[in-house]
Amino acid sequence: MAASSTAGRVLTLCKQFQNVFRISSALKAQNGAVNLSNYRSHFNREKSVSAAPSWCSPITSVGQCRALHTTISRRGLDEFFDFSDNWGETNVKSGAPWTAKQLRTKSSEDLHKLWYVLLKEKNMLLTLEQEAKRQKVQMPSPERLRKVERSMIRLETVVNERETALRLLQTGQEKGRPGAWRRNIFGYVYWYRFKEYAIPWYMNRRYKRKKFYTPNFVQPHIRLRIEKYLRQKARQTILKKQTQAKLKEKFPHMKISSS
Amino acid sequence: MPVTRLLYPLYQLGNPQLRIFRPNWFLTLTKPGKEQPPDTVQFRIPMEMTKYDVKNYLEKIYNVPVGAVRTRIQFGSNKKRNHLNQKVKQPDYKVAYVQLAPGQTFTFPDIFPQKDQALVEGSVEEMQEKFMEDEKQRQKPDPRRGGVTEWFGL
Repeated sequence: MAASSTAGRVLTLCKQFQNVFRISSALKAQNGAVNLSNYRSHFNREKSVSAAPSWCSPITSVGQCRALHTTISRRGLDEFFDFSDNWGETNVKSGAPWTAKQLRTKSSEDLHKLWYVLLKEKNMLLTLEQEAKRQKVQMPSPERLRKVERSMIRLETVVNERETALRLLQTGQEKGRPGAWRRNIFGYVYWYRFKEYAIPWYMNRRYKRKKFYTPNFVQPHIRLRIEKYLRQKARQTILKKQTQAKLKEKFPHMKISSS
Repeated sequence: MPVTRLLYPLYQLGNPQLRIFRPNWFLTLTKPGKEQPPDTVQFRIPMEMTKYDVKNYLEKIYNVPVGAVRTRIQFGSNKKRNHLNQKVKQPDYKVAYVQLAPGQTFTFPDIFPQKDQALVEGSVEEMQEKFMEDEKQRQKPDPRRGGVTEWFGL
């Protein structure tokens, strides 16, 4: 129910924004900026976190986006603090964090813009938290920090997904950093991640010092290692069986555990 | 926090500068403990950030003209002991003193102002307050007895 109501609010907001844009496009860019700044002060910051940002609806051009952007960042260092209406409040309302599903519908540009919005929000919250700690009072609505963090993590995953898809299409590589399974001197196999070097490998003394092979005299030790592992495993099973038998002897009506 | 292990390509002379697209550095604006000049702002910044990073961060993201940046590393106290008498280290942090461009000042606002709230008529809190006041009045000893204890006398 809450989701539907927020969606409705977002829709109305979008519509209002579009109206503002239409008005501003008729006027000069300067006037448009002023209009927007006035408009922005009407609704609370919480919407900038939760609700969809409607700066870059497909109708608006790049120039209008830029005008909007400059109006937001005009507050300068005051952006490290909440709006002054929220000062001294015990709890501040905030929306739900962005879900990955919502973020997947956004363009890459929008996602990067949203990252900066979230970054500023988090900076503001960290400042608030620190100040509250210093004055030894309770931070108003500390759950906001977690919400912002969650949305940032989700945004990161969405961007990574897109990067992976593009890489798979272009190069067919599954991982961002290429690598290979290699065997080290003790016979262990591990994932070796490739690294860039400024010189070819046969000239690189530090690279040549690494050993990606197992000498023959290590073979018996590998065998011993496997034997040790198997013995340990066997010993554990025997011990378990013995304890079970002992318990059975003591308590004949005991249920035998499945494990 | 999102952990993107970004591996930048090896820098060779003439390559384009390395860019950060989604910075995961968070600044905390703190109230300075000692008196600072009016154009100086104090931040807590992540350890990896340099002076140039702070300058670029504030200028590009926050649009704040920066004059100069000075940094230091604050040693977190190592004095605390836990219940096993082991030393517990408070984390270190980096502090940046950002001097704004000439002609700009900044004062840390009071973000926790004391608000005296008038209680709403008929609310639970108001009734509670009234009840407590009545009880206090009732608990007071008789002033005519002049402080003599209750059990004394008839």
